[in-house]
This record gives sequence, structure tokens and C-alpha cells, in this order.
Amino acid sequence: MADYTINSAKGRYASCGRRAFLKTAAASVALPYLIPASAMGADGNVAPSNRIVMAGIGIGNMGRGDMGTFLGRNDVQYVAVCDVKRDVRDSATNTVNQKYGNTDCKAYRDFREIMVRDDIDAVHCATPDHWHAIIVIEACRNGKDIYCQKPETKTLREGRLMIEAARRYGRVVSGGSQRVLEDYRAVVNACWGGSMGNVKSINVSVGPFPVDCNKESQPIPDGFDWDMWLGPAPWAPYHPHRCSGSYSIDGTSWRSFRDYSGGGMTDWGAHHFGGATFAIDVREMEPEEVIFHNENGRKFATCRYPNGKLIHHNYPGRKNMQVEGTDEQGPSKPVPGYAGSGGIYGDFIDCVKTRRNPFRDIEYAVHTTTVCHLFLIAYELERSLKWDTVKQQFIDDDEANRLVDVARREPWVI
Amino acid sequence: MTSKEAIKMTVVAGTASAAAAQVDTAAVDAAFETLKTYDWGADRGLLNPIDQAIIATHGDAAARKALEKRLVDALAGGISRSAQDYVCRKLRVIGTSQSVEALAALLPAEQTSHIARYALERLPDEKAVDAMRDALPKVRGKLKSGLIGSLGVRRDAKSVTAIAGFLGDSDIEAARAAAQSLGLIGTPAAAGELSKFAGKASADMKMPVADARLVCAERLLADGNQSEAVALYKALQGDDQPGRVRAAALKGMLAATKK
Repeated sequence: MADYTINSAKGRYASCGRRAFLKTAAASVALPYLIPASAMGADGNVAPSNRIVMAGIGIGNMGRGDMGTFLGRNDVQYVAVCDVKRDVRDSATNTVNQKYGNTDCKAYRDFREIMVRDDIDAVHCATPDHWHAIIVIEACRNGKDIYCQKPETKTLREGRLMIEAARRYGRVVSGGSQRVLEDYRAVVNACWGGSMGNVKSINVSVGPFPVDCNKESQPIPDGFDWDMWLGPAPWAPYHPHRCSGSYSIDGTSWRSFRDYSGGGMTDWGAHHFGGATFAIDVREMEPEEVIFHNENGRKFATCRYPNGKLIHHNYPGRKNMQVEGTDEQGPSKPVPGYAGSGGIYGDFIDCVKTRRNPFRDIEYAVHTTTVCHLFLIAYELERSLKWDTVKQQFIDDDEANRLVDVARREPWVI
Repeated sequence: MTSKEAIKMTVVAGTASAAAAQVDTAAVDAAFETLKTYDWGADRGLLNPIDQAIIATHGDAAARKALEKRLVDALAGGISRSAQDYVCRKLRVIGTSQSVEALAALLPAEQTSHIARYALERLPDEKAVDAMRDALPKVRGKLKSGLIGSLGVRRDAKSVTAIAGFLGDSDIEAARAAAQSLGLIGTPAAAGELSKFAGKASADMKMPVADARLVCAERLLADGNQSEAVALYKALQGDDQPGRVRAAALKGMLAATKK
């Protein structure tokens, strides 16, 4: 079994099975006519033996876009796709095979079959949110790096387990919000450059909250593995709105419903709160308190960090990403960015090669979704809560602690 | 709930907290009436008064107990799967030992086992864990892996021997769940069971067991059982382990020696 965990980047490729194949093939007379020079590394292309071998899990909608981006890179060799919808995986398989002009791409219904393939270096995951933790942890366990779409977690407990798995196995695990760096540059530059003085707080306006889904039963479409789509979530009858990957959060997509998503609070919150934690430079920590406000029926909330900085949610009279600073010039420091080329995807691939932590390292991503979940729980219970960042539990609030995680439907365990 | 009980709930709420006084008992009564015929496709909003009563009765033990009893009674009243689903979600938040028996009764059935665990796994009362442990020998098929997983999440040391019995199970899901749960439980006894099984693990189980031992070592270390953690890490450094496991064990060993 090829295992790359403790090898250098150079060693990774040296032990790749594909290279061994090419070595054998090169000895034959006919094969050189079948492989164009570009495929062997000429013309700026990367020879297949030196490419990152990748697979995609959850390749409808956002996953299809992620797949297209990775597939378009000449340092990636895409070999497998996985989706619970047959038409989605068939279409993706055809796309990959057309790109390479072969039939090498394999299609899977169960992601675990991809995880045990020794030839795959990295995967990307764009399933609904209730699957993310299981897939990220399984990837790490099987020695694969992973790019996981946002929001990376569905519950508070998942986050710590994902970080632990990444660190345990030394994997590169990147969260999937490109907007954290790309959408809020002006705010980030102002805060990191010192022009906001000493930054005290930032406000994020985002929603809506997730709701329960009680849609009626409809016939399951042919070729759709409904049980696998539900996975660890409670059983429920099929309804197209329950599982639609539409970006709407209006009760017509899985992003609306509590069992699969944190609603807009996590779906867009992963972007906005990610940008906010980056701007006020609290990416490396978690809040220790969430303060629930109810002023004459107007509800809003604030997360307080150990260093005293605040992230408000829907603070009355403040705009999204509005920063509260001081008048004096604050300290200036360089703003971190992506490695490699190609945005957040290129950052991930570069880090797979160099073994550095990506810009959207899983720890930063989890710290962002933790903010989202703390807010969600405070709003659900309508009270302020204190969060023990070490024990990962609420202080003196058993009821809130029940909401730190959910029991997963059999056979799924994390 | 009778109207007399409802009034009592309001009165108690009124003395206990201002928020509790906001319970609309008539609306709550109507929601419980709806629950009797509630099914997939029904308007979820009709049950919102119960959600609001849960928030409003926070800190009011008597009102909470009355509300919980109504939920438990509803569960026993032959309601639909959708209604059972709703009740278990609410008991996840406010359930106490009072709910355990009714929830435990749902554990052996394939349709309700998970949603019962949805509540029981999160109930802090030890009786919830007892109920899941007691149910383990009574369930079949994939329900085993669910209960094993929940007992692992609860780090139930009393389940170690029972769970270890599933490590060699022909049902690979149950076997994997057993390994993961023993890792999560993370006691010296759990480590011992994993180590005892490691040598005879099938090819499918080698990595789950290795991973579970690494997780177990981390739990042991966090709980101050340094020597047991080090023993696990040492055992995982052999040539029979994948490189990533050996590397993880080496890192763990270094962490252990720093403690």
C-alpha cells in the first residue's frame, strides 16, 4: 500500500503507482505513439506521474464546479467521482473521461470505496453539510488530503474531531470558502493595515435560521440512493425540496433544513463570519461567550473572544462587515494569502505538494463554523451562553450541551 | 394536559420567571391536540407553541416536568412516525429520567431506534446510558452499530466488554462501530480490548482498529493515563502498520513525553 504521510513532497510522487505504469509502458514499442509529449511533461504540462491524483465526492451543483476547477489544472489527475445520484455521477464521469480522452474515471455510489483506493492522493467534498465531518475524518484516516466545501461542520462536536483527525494523520485539510479572502479584502486590509486603529468589533448580517422539514413523501427518483443521501441524518421520506442542492434558503433546498444544514447562518455565515474572524484576526481562537439580546422583541447576539474582541450578529443599525475601531493608527501587519496559483483551489493543491497548512486550514474553518453554531444555539434557546473552548462544552448549561452534537443514524459514527 | 394542569403550569411559571409567564397554554394545548394526527406533510408551524413553551419554561422545573410529561404521554399514544420524530427532538432538549422508559421502548424497532437515540444520546441522566446499554443485546442488524456508536459517544466505560464482543462481528458496520467506540471511550480497559483484538483483526478491520487505538491513546493522555497511552503508541510503531499510523504514533509518543 502506497503511503505518503511521512514522505517529502518529492517522495510522494516517486512512490506513485502511475509512474511505475509509465515506466513499464515506455519499454514497449507501441506506447510512445499513444502518449503525447504534452502528457509526458512537455509544453509546460505536468506528467501524469507527477500530478496529484484526485477524486470528487458529492459532485452535483457546487461539487460540479469544484470538480471543473480541479479537472482544469494540469497538476491534477482526476480519476474518480462519487455521488448518490446515478445521473450526476454518470455525467461527471463522462466529463472527466472526455477531458482525458480515456475511460479511466471510475464512478462510485459509496465514498468509502474511494477512500480505500491507494492510488488517490486527495479528494474534494461537496456533499450536503451533514456528511462533511464523516467524509473528512474518513479521508484523513485513509491518508488522503481533502478540500471540503463550507460550512465544514454541522455540529460543534464535529469540528474538534475533524481537526484532531487532520493533525493525527498530518493531512492537508482545507475549508472551502473562497470568499473569506476574496470578498472582504478592503475590510481585511483596513484592519490589518492599522487604519481601523485597535479593532474592537465587527458586525455580520446573515440569515435565515434553519427550520425543521416535514414535507410529505414523494416517489424516490430512479437511480437515487435516498438512504445514502440521508446518511447520518434522521430518516425522512423523500421530497425534492428536502434534497435539492439549490442555493436558495427558502424551504426548497436542503440548505434550509436543520438536519442537513445550519441554514443561512452557516451556509452564508461560513463566508461572512469567516471574513469577520479574518478581519479582526481571531481565526486562531474560539469565542468564550455568546450574549443573546432581546430588546423589545428585536433579537441579536454577540460573540466575545478571550482577547475581548466582539463579533456581533445583526447588531441594530450596523451594516454587514461594519468594523468598530478606534481613532488612532493601529499596528500594521502583512495580510496572509493563498499559496500557489489558482485561488483557494490552487492554495490547496500547493499545500498538498508542500505539506504546509492551507489558507483555509480546517482549524480556521472550524473556528468560523463554531461561531455560527454558538449563535444558532443561543438563538434557539434564547439565552446567553458561556463556552469552554478547551472542554468544548457550555459552562453550567446542560441543556445547551445537548445541542453540541446530534446522534447519528446507524451505521454512522464519529 | 388538563386545563387545571395548564393553569398550574402558568402559575408556577409566573412565580419562577418572567419568561415562563409567556406560555400560551391554549396554544400549547392545541399543538398537543395537533400532534395526535400530525404526519408528514402537515404544517410544522402548528407545533411551534410547544417549541415556544420549551424556551419559556427554562428555569422552571415544575413547568418543564409537566411539559415533558405531556411529550412522553404523546409518545405512548400511538402517534405517527413524524410525530414521534418531533417528540424525540424535543425530549433531546428537555428530557430527564422521566422520559427514558418511553424512549427506551423505541430502541429495538428499526423505524424508531435512531430517533430514540437522538434524544437518549444527549440526555445527561445516566439512566439514558443504562437504557442504551441494556438495549444492545436486544437489537438486530444495523441498529447494533447505532447503539454501539451512541455508547461510544457517551464514553460509557460499563459497555467496554459488551462492545468489544462486536469487534469480530461478521457485520462489518457493527465491527467498525465497536472499534470507533472503544477508541472514544478511551479507558485503559478499552485500550486493552483493542490491543487484544488487534493481532487477529481481518484486513478490513486493521485500519479501523489502528485508528481507534490512536484515538484511544489521545483520550488516555488527556485523562492523565500517560503510561497506557505510551504503550498504545509503542504498539502502533511496528512494520505491520501503515506509514501514516506509525507517523501518528510517533507524534503521539512525543506529545506523551512532553506531558
